Amino acid sequence: MTTSNLYRKEKIYGFLFILAPLLGLIIFTLYPMLYSIYGSLTDWDGLGQMSFIGLSNFTDLFTDELFHKAVFNTLFMMLGIPIGITLALLLALGLNRGARGTTTFRVIYYVPVISSLAAVSIMWNWAYNGDYGLVNQFLDLFGISGPNWMANKYTVKPALIIMAVWKGLGYTMLLYLAALQSVSRTYYEAAELDGANGFQSFRHITWPMVRPVTFFIVVTNIIGGSQIFTEMNIMTPTGGPEYASASVVFYIWQKAFGSFQMGYASAMAVVLGAFIFVVTLIQFRMNEKSSFDVD
Amino acid sequence: MLKKKGWFTLLSLILTVSVVLAGCGGNNNNAAKSNTGNTGTTENTATKTDDSKETKELTFMYRGGTDEQAAYKKVVEKFEADHPNVKVKIIVTAADQYATKLKASITGKSIPDVFYFESGDLKAYVNSGVLLDLNSYIEANKDINLDNIWKYGVDLYRYDGTMAGQGNIYGMPKDVGPFALGYNKTMFEKAGIPLPDKDKPYTWDEFVKVAQQLTVDTTGDGKPDQYGTGFNVQWALQAFVWSNGADWIDSTKTKVTIDDPKFAEALQYMADLQNKYKVTPSTEQAQTLDTYQRWMKGEMAFFPVGPWDMSTYETLPFDYDLIPYPAGSTGKSATWTGSLGIGASAKTKYPEEAVALIDYLTASKEGMEALVKAKVQIPNLIDMATEWAADTSTKPANKEEFLQIVNDYGRVLPGHYTYNAEWYNLFFTDIQPVIDGKVTAADYVKSEQPKMQKLLDKAIEQEEKSKK
Amino acid sequence: MSHSRKRNLTSTIIFIVLLIGAVFMIGPLLWMLSTSLKDKQDVFALPPVWIPSPFNFGKYKEIWEAGPLLSGIKNSLIIALSVTVVGTFTSSLAAFAFAKLRFPGKNKIFLLMLSSLMIPYPAVMIPQFFIFSKLGWIDTLWPLIVPGLFGNIVMIFFLRQYLSSVPNAIIEAAKIDGSSYFRLYSSITFPLIKPAIAAQLILWFMGIWNDYLAPIIYLNSPEKQTLQLVIANFNATYAIQTDYPLIMAASIISLLPMLIIFLVFQKQIIESVAISGVKG
Repeated sequence: MTTSNLYRKEKIYGFLFILAPLLGLIIFTLYPMLYSIYGSLTDWDGLGQMSFIGLSNFTDLFTDELFHKAVFNTLFMMLGIPIGITLALLLALGLNRGARGTTTFRVIYYVPVISSLAAVSIMWNWAYNGDYGLVNQFLDLFGISGPNWMANKYTVKPALIIMAVWKGLGYTMLLYLAALQSVSRTYYEAAELDGANGFQSFRHITWPMVRPVTFFIVVTNIIGGSQIFTEMNIMTPTGGPEYASASVVFYIWQKAFGSFQMGYASAMAVVLGAFIFVVTLIQFRMNEKSSFDVD
Repeated sequence: MLKKKGWFTLLSLILTVSVVLAGCGGNNNNAAKSNTGNTGTTENTATKTDDSKETKELTFMYRGGTDEQAAYKKVVEKFEADHPNVKVKIIVTAADQYATKLKASITGKSIPDVFYFESGDLKAYVNSGVLLDLNSYIEANKDINLDNIWKYGVDLYRYDGTMAGQGNIYGMPKDVGPFALGYNKTMFEKAGIPLPDKDKPYTWDEFVKVAQQLTVDTTGDGKPDQYGTGFNVQWALQAFVWSNGADWIDSTKTKVTIDDPKFAEALQYMADLQNKYKVTPSTEQAQTLDTYQRWMKGEMAFFPVGPWDMSTYETLPFDYDLIPYPAGSTGKSATWTGSLGIGASAKTKYPEEAVALIDYLTASKEGMEALVKAKVQIPNLIDMATEWAADTSTKPANKEEFLQIVNDYGRVLPGHYTYNAEWYNLFFTDIQPVIDGKVTAADYVKSEQPKMQKLLDKAIEQEEKSKK
Repeated sequence: MSHSRKRNLTSTIIFIVLLIGAVFMIGPLLWMLSTSLKDKQDVFALPPVWIPSPFNFGKYKEIWEAGPLLSGIKNSLIIALSVTVVGTFTSSLAAFAFAKLRFPGKNKIFLLMLSSLMIPYPAVMIPQFFIFSKLGWIDTLWPLIVPGLFGNIVMIFFLRQYLSSVPNAIIEAAKIDGSSYFRLYSSITFPLIKPAIAAQLILWFMGIWNDYLAPIIYLNSPEKQTLQLVIANFNATYAIQTDYPLIMAASIISLLPMLIIFLVFQKQIIESVAISGVKG
């Protein structure tokens, strides 16, 4: 068998082996994406009508207050990201000191992560019950009478944030732990010899080492957070008091499947896609930069 | 590192199970296809016409609380017993989820054979060929006497291509739902206050006065624990607005009219019940225990009652009865009558059977008796309803009020008239600050009117397009 | 001396903080379990009871009648198993090709796939819905199964990374020996990356098991719904009757399989998750 013959065969098999994922990508992602963009330029109602209307879906978005609310709510709930990151980093630092029961703690903190979001939402919905919920009973121990969390427009978003932090904490902590464990002990020992205090060695050794993973966490959290849906669908099926807990995907879903406005919903989907695209692009850029820094 | 043996066992286990289950899955899907097959194209049984031995399966999609779900399930079972060759597959959801479920089925072209729909969606469904025209079937059915069914209810589902309310019938009312006002009779008697007149409505001032008398602090902790009332603005405001001579939309159904001062006055009155007269729990208090629960615990003098509440209220620890809503400047009481339609898919394989099921649920004596017995609705049949209302031995005694609302002063909710109800829903999305007294009603209606008008214009535009 | 005492003190404090944190993490879940074992009325007891007496296991019997829980489990299993098993095969095959075979445009195609990860599901769900509606697949499990059969790009990415640590020489030698390309994959590559595949498979399985948005769009009939939809419906239906023990019992059942898988494979799962962050 000659080399060129071998190569020709390899070429064919190479294509053959990647055929399935490539087809899947084209059929279920690229084509629908283009179709979404096209649909966003029409008055598509899902029942048969689909005529071109230019950019008017997008201009309507500028004046649609419910959309603004949904965007605001979605962004507001991302406040949970810095909270979760801070807590997770502290926990990981604690665990990394080799405290007793590290493995057990790791497992316990990770249980909410593997629990289904639907079940967890149901549980928290009950925990936020104004009278008999776990949260208010806990607050009661300190003499605080808590609100009916899910029915109050000021507390519904914080309530969802607390739940999101609780659910995601284990995952973030785990990523930090892995990053911390890759930091050689000798750095710290050297720093200690130089008389650095705890904060200084955190600033100059730990933080630079965990910065890339922090960045990864922030970006994946933003991407995930911008698609938040299940929680509100289960906990506030009508979008919450004064639409205070409706997210962008919730609104897209309502418009597309609840009021025959596929074109308008597609326009929102395109905006969401563009947002995530930009965020990911920034990540790539920054990653490139930070790796140059390290080199 | 990894225990290789464990992984291997797991993988082979997964593979075995998946092969077995995949087998099940295949069967499952095949069965489902031949059962539903709404599109009619996936089937090659089209040539196999009415073989009487063939089982015809209908899907019936509806919604409701648990009592209502159970009641309808039972009636459907009775229907199956009467029609041995028809099998009904039930898809039932909670009320909040129904609209998206149904609409996703419609856009996904897997329309259930028989389903509930809101009268407000009638035009959209007819224009896009979703609903079956029931006219010829109903005329052919000798057992149905349309004159014996609430005209209000049937007319909601008539459409002639331009105007709703006239023309062919595309759905039958599942029920008519008069939204009456109830009062806690036991509380009145205990307080020694004369019972409200069932024929002469309170004026707004009188209503406040009575409510104030019944708002009391029984435990002496400085906070009332019994209240005059506690309305949910979304369902009670209509009664006040209409009886004050105002409305959400004008008679041409093209202009939002909430900036009418009489409208603002009614809205302000509702807000004042909480903030000025303090006869309702504050928003905070209502959040810890909502007004519905307070009413059921006997801590509230007045509360709305719909027919669907009767089964739940059966076990209330006090006696209650119905009265008309307090009357505003027109001197007349007003409220709304809700309804849901039951329609059939235009693409159903078994139109005859689908319509038979609709008739059974909405217009047959047997079906109606079972539903009324379950206390989830008032009878659709006028003669049955009259008899039912005359029986004052069951709670509530003044069932007659329900019938008066249906026959006489009940109106349809404003969203019904337009292609969609988004403009109307927006009104209630932002209303809480008014109820909390942070924004005056006058300011609110002024700022909200243009936003609602914009959505209404959009709905009108959408309707025009769908007709083409 | 004082130095090590200080150390000891700090680690004790850290331990206590971690312990309190653990209580917060696991507390709600224990409370869920406790609620599921209560009587309907005891749920409203004030102050709350943590350990119901007696344990009432009745709800765990009732749930099977109260909703299509069993078929929910079955449907979730069908979807998750068929997708992960077939999808893992297609993904690992592609990863092998990307890592070890030479063909033109390879890197461009791989980059294209990677960049498609930027497209979120909500951005494509509406057209996807119409594709499947044209096929008459609404209210069947197919829309949830078929896309996954074509493979999972995240998995391809990680397996490709993992394969880069496998020396090319092994493959090249086998090529010269004239073994077929599929054999190169099945009897040489696959055994080498089995641990990585298994870890990815479990993560994917969990993802599908817990998915909610796609099922809620496609499934209507009760007997077609996945477990997550079934318990969400339990919540929507029985919360009005305040039958919380019933809802919690059903939710516990839905959590259990993942919990067991996690506890059994926790080491591998945690390791592969940790890797994903470092490599990503």
